[in-house]
Amino acid sequence: MSTVKTMPDLSRRSFIIGTAAVGSGLALGLNIPFASRGARAAEATPEVNAWVVIKPDDTVVIRVARSEMGQGTLTGLAQMVAEELECDWSKVTTEYPTPGQSVARKRVWGDFSTGGSRGIRESHDYVRRGGVVARMMLVQAAADEWKVAAAECSAANSIITHGPSGRTTTYGKVAEAAAKVTQPQAKDVVLKDPKDWKLIGKSVHRLDTIDKVTGKMIYTSDFTLPGMLQAAIKECPVFGGKLKSFDAGKVSGMRGVKHVLQVGDSAVAVVADSWWRAKVALDALPIVWDEGANAKVSSATIGEMLKEGLGAEQAFVGNKAGDAKAALSGAAKKVEAVYAYPNLNHATMEPMNTVARYTPDRCEVWLGTQNGEASFAAVLAASGLPADKCEVYKLMLGSGFGRRGAFQDYVRQAVLIAKQIPGTPVKLQWSREEDMTQGRYHPLTQCKLTGGFDAANNLTALHVRISGQSILSSVRPEALVNGMDPAVFQGMHASGEFEFGYNAIPNLLVDHAMRNTHVPPGFWRGVNINQNAVYMECFIDELAQAAGQDPLEFRRKLMTKNPKHLAVLNAAAERAGWGKPAPKGVFRGLAQMKGYNSFVAACAEISVTGGNKVKVHRIVAATDCGYAVNPSLIERQIAGSFVYGLSALFYQECTVKNGRIEQTNFHNYQSMRIAQMPKIEAIVMPSGGFWGGVGEPTICVAAPAVLNAFAAATGKRVRSFPLKNHGITLV
Amino acid sequence: MRSRRRFLSAAGGLAAAALLSPRASAQLTRTPLNNMPEIIRRLTGGAAITAGRVKLEVPPLVENGHLVPLSVTVESPMTASDYVSEIHVFTDKNPLPEMISFHLGPRAGRASIATRVRLADTENVVAIARMSDGSYWSDTAFVIVTMAACLEEL
Repeated sequence: MSTVKTMPDLSRRSFIIGTAAVGSGLALGLNIPFASRGARAAEATPEVNAWVVIKPDDTVVIRVARSEMGQGTLTGLAQMVAEELECDWSKVTTEYPTPGQSVARKRVWGDFSTGGSRGIRESHDYVRRGGVVARMMLVQAAADEWKVAAAECSAANSIITHGPSGRTTTYGKVAEAAAKVTQPQAKDVVLKDPKDWKLIGKSVHRLDTIDKVTGKMIYTSDFTLPGMLQAAIKECPVFGGKLKSFDAGKVSGMRGVKHVLQVGDSAVAVVADSWWRAKVALDALPIVWDEGANAKVSSATIGEMLKEGLGAEQAFVGNKAGDAKAALSGAAKKVEAVYAYPNLNHATMEPMNTVARYTPDRCEVWLGTQNGEASFAAVLAASGLPADKCEVYKLMLGSGFGRRGAFQDYVRQAVLIAKQIPGTPVKLQWSREEDMTQGRYHPLTQCKLTGGFDAANNLTALHVRISGQSILSSVRPEALVNGMDPAVFQGMHASGEFEFGYNAIPNLLVDHAMRNTHVPPGFWRGVNINQNAVYMECFIDELAQAAGQDPLEFRRKLMTKNPKHLAVLNAAAERAGWGKPAPKGVFRGLAQMKGYNSFVAACAEISVTGGNKVKVHRIVAATDCGYAVNPSLIERQIAGSFVYGLSALFYQECTVKNGRIEQTNFHNYQSMRIAQMPKIEAIVMPSGGFWGGVGEPTICVAAPAVLNAFAAATGKRVRSFPLKNHGITLV
Repeated sequence: MRSRRRFLSAAGGLAAAALLSPRASAQLTRTPLNNMPEIIRRLTGGAAITAGRVKLEVPPLVENGHLVPLSVTVESPMTASDYVSEIHVFTDKNPLPEMISFHLGPRAGRASIATRVRLADTENVVAIARMSDGSYWSDTAFVIVTMAACLEEL
């Protein structure tokens, strides 16, 4: 389901982005994140079109709206523009337009939102067209100068050649003239056939690696402004509670403390000349919270509520075929299991932070964000100023994983603080403890799965009842469909980007008893495919076992109309040697799912000693994302996602006691270490014809593959997580 | 996808074309255009709509399309012989193109309304006022509605 997204027909004029156009802080924002390349966007160089600025020395500046957060989107998008632009890749750098510019230019760069694995697959068409248009204008400018037909000219590597005469020139020399050429309509230009791609599909080095390795990269943590103060904040630790009172007098005399401020109706901040002094004062500040009724909530009470949902009469139906309930009641054999998946915190490398400066005439904010426009909207709302008086400058993020996209709570806080100290820039930095306890959590769910067999051991019915939190009902209620949250069923839909792989189950019911808690839910990398892949892929193994069949064969028989689901599953299994004996003591497990329009599968190989010490030797992972823009980046995304997913599986949960989150730092919310990391063999197998995401889908198959291998090794099914709660350790 | 050009020429060329730049809100978002041009034509009976006299105020960017503050003010003496009789607000991507309509008379005193509306997606918003002399006037605005990350339009 790919939608063509065409460029707007802008009125032609040279649009110079420089300090005059938008404001004094602009140059800073556009210089980041590629500090060492030093490609300051042109105080004076006009753009060729909105996407491309070419400087006289042939440096190509490509503008990208989406945010780089380690996933490689910036490099990938630049590759796509450069492919059509036919420029010298070694001279490419990128810059971020600001949301203020986006508003002023009617969103010419499209959506800024970075999440849902959308960066490449939703931008690819219009960014490529942007490259074509710029190239055509450059060629036309050269042709005009030579007084020849543009059709006689060609472009490659930033050099334009006139075929008949052999004359050449470079992009840098004609860029200024190109800016004045009539812009062709983006929707009418012809894109290269994928078989002609030279840059797309190449594993070029990322554009941001060197600066990250040398420490030159600027994150919000590094960012300073003259006269900037630092703020530490505490929000009511019980979600939904309020700030009752605080005794500023007790800390205002402490060293470095400048201000003690109420922030909204549920938080208090200390502003000081150093963050440490702010934090020490904040910890010493007497605060009285009005915790509210949620103070009585605990994981135990929440668990009871979810358990009731597993058997509730009323539920929202996400997918349905035949009559599962009837088929189950008539089944020759039934298999049932109950699973549970916990709340998780994003635990981004950089806790939430924002730099803000407010005056009644201007409000500016600097931060790492997954969505510059969402940050901008938060600034508008919190400052009360009109759009032309506000701006957001994007810095590199110390990870997002979904915490820094839809949720801009820290931006709002920073602006509310800055508003109380007009003229003084302030950096709000959350402590790790604040970040762990004021998250937007991976939702909490339980799942009861019931499978029914006929006398010949064919699976005739499956009922998947999910009980637990809905993200959308809290974050985007307008996306609910008659009260149902469709995102709950990711990976188990009848069709579309999260299509269920097992089409040959004649009677199917996947439904959801919505049980929301006071813990605010959010989008955690993968979102709902994390638990749905565990539920589905572990249970299908249980069904295979009950039927006395091989887990791969059992799956294959149910995937009669899903060749792409099957292809990745077969690829992972075959490469891992499924069907051939494994080395002594090594056991294998499989998993597959479709998510974010990509097909992913994995085969894990593990050993278990003492019944509970797990060594994951190798995971073979197959991914079909349609087109692979940068295969090596995809391989790294797969491996990185497995770190995230396996850390969650073995170590992580966020539990509630007295209404608060109990896990506060990495001592009680562990992550796996390098020595524990398995070998990852990634099979990148793009089958073409569609665009699937990579940042999010790949994560979901690691945990179920390992769990299935564990069951093969020990005969034990583990159905609640993390594994450390069962005394299982990762070696 | 409806052809804007067909509508614009049918509705009286320049005056209607002034309503909004073609395709501006069709860009780069998933929600398709609704049949706003036709709904507007049904309202005006094909009469010319002139840009001006109407001031539509709406934020250029909002985080959440659920609660978008919007106001429309029309220059008019609001006397018995010269007043604003109707104010309508449309969008080109909401499921129902006509969002609100207000009916006023000279006793309203001022032709000024303010409310909050829901916007389905990044889209154009059009305010059309009908005067007591039967003439139609308009203003337009483009609103970016940022979407939550990690979510598919299912």
